[in-house]
Amino acid sequence: MIDYYDWRGGREAMLRFGPETGPIVMIAMPLFEEANRIRAFVVTLCRTLAARGIASALPDLPGQGESLLPTEAARLDDWRTAFAAAAARLGKRPYGASLRSGAAVDGEAALAGRWRLSPLSGAAALADLRRAEAAGMKMRSETVAELDDTGSPPQLLAGNRVSPSLLRALADDAALAIPDGPLRTLRLTSDPQPADRKVDAAPLWRRAEPGNDPALATLLADDIAAWIAQCGG
Amino acid sequence: MLPDDISTIETTVLAVLRDVLGLSEARANALRPETPLFGAMPELDSMAVAGVLTELEERLGILIEDDEVDGEMLETFGALVDFAVAKAPR
Repeated sequence: MIDYYDWRGGREAMLRFGPETGPIVMIAMPLFEEANRIRAFVVTLCRTLAARGIASALPDLPGQGESLLPTEAARLDDWRTAFAAAAARLGKRPYGASLRSGAAVDGEAALAGRWRLSPLSGAAALADLRRAEAAGMKMRSETVAELDDTGSPPQLLAGNRVSPSLLRALADDAALAIPDGPLRTLRLTSDPQPADRKVDAAPLWRRAEPGNDPALATLLADDIAAWIAQCGG
Repeated sequence: MLPDDISTIETTVLAVLRDVLGLSEARANALRPETPLFGAMPELDSMAVAGVLTELEERLGILIEDDEVDGEMLETFGALVDFAVAKAPR
């Protein structure tokens, strides 16, 4: 079902899956291109959760996804405010599931707990964008300019028009926030950073051609379901 | 560096290319040192290059500076393996 939520900057779409009763999971998608790459996978994950009696909501952030707001108008603060507003619309206290840099936007939402897959900070997400932009310029044999976050015009970074304000806010978001309340982190086996569980799978968010991995969706849905049960949901 | 270490690095580079580019097992197993990469594989766009570099850093515990990145290191599979071998701690 296509639902919506209102926040102080306007109205954005929110996909809803699963039953009307029982626990609900609020999904924080990765920022920028990675969201497109795993959208199909996330929908599979939401449907797999639904089959386990768990509802989920997948909000568009302002200036991302299908949002009518231009990307260059996006602000990190607004993303956090909008995500919190989307969570509040669900009525009951949802559980948060953030994917990759989605962990950088769920901080203000009232969540019963946070489950994270391969989380990274805003600064790390920005570093990926900058690296892609630099790689593209190198490959086209152009000179790589120093990134300017002092001026006013938005900068084109790997196909995204990013405002100086968003650049600075992402660069300042150096570390993952440690939230109050339950936190569970999963990472891939190939990722050396610590996690509560390591999962043997390929990083779908790196794929140029969006892929899917129903086996991974099943594994993650089972993990989320067990975690919610453990949290008392 | 021992031949075993080089073989491990080659396996890691292969796994990174397979994972990031979404190569089938058949295409991944067909990679040879002389197989051309950049310009020859349509999947290897600038976002994918960034993904390959970041995954190599994570999996091999190395650090790649952006000014080390050029067309040469990505010209062939063998060139990328050589680059990774030269970067790996010994």
